[in-house]
Amino acid sequence: MNYMPGTASLIEDIDKKHLVLLRDGRTLIGFLRSIDQFANLVLHQTVERIHVGKKYGDIPRGIFVVRGENVVLLGEIDLEKESDTPLQQVSIEEILEEQRVEQQTKQEAEKLKVQALKDRGLSIPRADTLDEY
Amino acid sequence: MTRKEKDWVIKVQMVQLQSENPHLDDYYYQEYYQKLEKKQTDEELLGRRSKFESLKLVTPYIQKAEAYESVVRIEGSLGQVAVSTCFSPRRAIDAVPHGSQDQETGAASSQRLQVLARIEKMFLQLLEIEGQKDGLPQPCSSEQWNNQIEKLFQALRTPEQNTLEEAADGFLQVLSVRKGKALVARLLPLLPQDRAVSLLLAITHHLPLLVRRDVADQALQMLFKPLGKCISHLTFHELLQGLQGLMLFPPGSSERPVTLVLQNQFGISLLYALLSHGEQLVSLESSLEEPSSDHRAWTDMVVLIAWEIAQMPTASLAEPLAFPSNLLPLFCHHVDKPLVQHLEARME
Repeated sequence: MNYMPGTASLIEDIDKKHLVLLRDGRTLIGFLRSIDQFANLVLHQTVERIHVGKKYGDIPRGIFVVRGENVVLLGEIDLEKESDTPLQQVSIEEILEEQRVEQQTKQEAEKLKVQALKDRGLSIPRADTLDEY
Repeated sequence: MTRKEKDWVIKVQMVQLQSENPHLDDYYYQEYYQKLEKKQTDEELLGRRSKFESLKLVTPYIQKAEAYESVVRIEGSLGQVAVSTCFSPRRAIDAVPHGSQDQETGAASSQRLQVLARIEKMFLQLLEIEGQKDGLPQPCSSEQWNNQIEKLFQALRTPEQNTLEEAADGFLQVLSVRKGKALVARLLPLLPQDRAVSLLLAITHHLPLLVRRDVADQALQMLFKPLGKCISHLTFHELLQGLQGLMLFPPGSSERPVTLVLQNQFGISLLYALLSHGEQLVSLESSLEEPSSDHRAWTDMVVLIAWEIAQMPTASLAEPLAFPSNLLPLFCHHVDKPLVQHLEARME
């Protein structure tokens, strides 16, 4: 088969199930329907999967159009091995609750850390008050 | 996605890759792929089937519809307008010369500019010749290649001038510029022996002048290696011609050129290389019973040079780039012992 340059290599991935990781940390799973030269993606029957520890929950989202520059990576999902995972699927409410708890603990730990540093006269600029780059 | 849409995406990606000279534009991929293919054919010859068929990127060779003018010059205007495309979004305007190029003035600065322009043109020719040696873009016939080398050689000698002296003059002007020296150094290995010898003789005949003009650059050393190779193929007669020029007093001077040569690193290295080669040739011809006039001239020259080296204060004697091992035996043959010891002390 001919070697396709650049984003044209995605053409052979069309109509297959993919896992897409976005720059904001979201994980999307859907069927890749369409691409263009910037690797913008059209995902069909998309599901947003939230992972907390060993649990995960799926939120159905429908059709996604993702701008190419926001994709970190994507990979094809083997439909046969898809269910072969040690992770435990839970309901949406539960996983959202778990996520909230996880965020809270992280924030508290961060607050303690910043306080400890402040006591020592140091300061680390916080990521959320800065630009991404 | 329809077939048409898929083809469109592929086309967009391929259009950016089209090239008339992939070996120039995409050298590393081409080399890599050639190596890979070679390895695979080798493996298949050994009987082992290749583990994978490597994919090749086949770029389309689409002829561009029209040659586009990247810099547009409107008649009667003072400047130039840059036209940008995806291939050159911001073309440097001043890099494209549009002025008429045959305005000549007699000033010395313009002469220097002329020499520099000549060197640039010759360098482009040299680069093309060197590129064809490796078979890029395509291997050309050796006759064509030799013709190109000869053309470049003639360009070095300013073909407009007819006298030998003026031709040498043009060559020396080129050698007075650092880039000209680099040009000659790279051209010498490609030249046939007789052409290389004529350049070598021109250099040895005008060595003091070249040494004087090289004071600022100190770049003559780059000529040493290619000249050394040429020297090792010299005939005895040619060698003598080369050395004789150094022995004659130039008009209006009481100093032999060899004195100045010994004080310069390149000069002394070249001289030692010539002497060493001469000694090699003489020792090979030792079967000759009667010394010919050439041999007598050789002996005289060696004695003279030995004397000059002895005369020179050790501090002024330059350190050679290479010290041939057969020099001291050479001097042993022709001069008496105390002088040889004296020389040994100096040359070490």
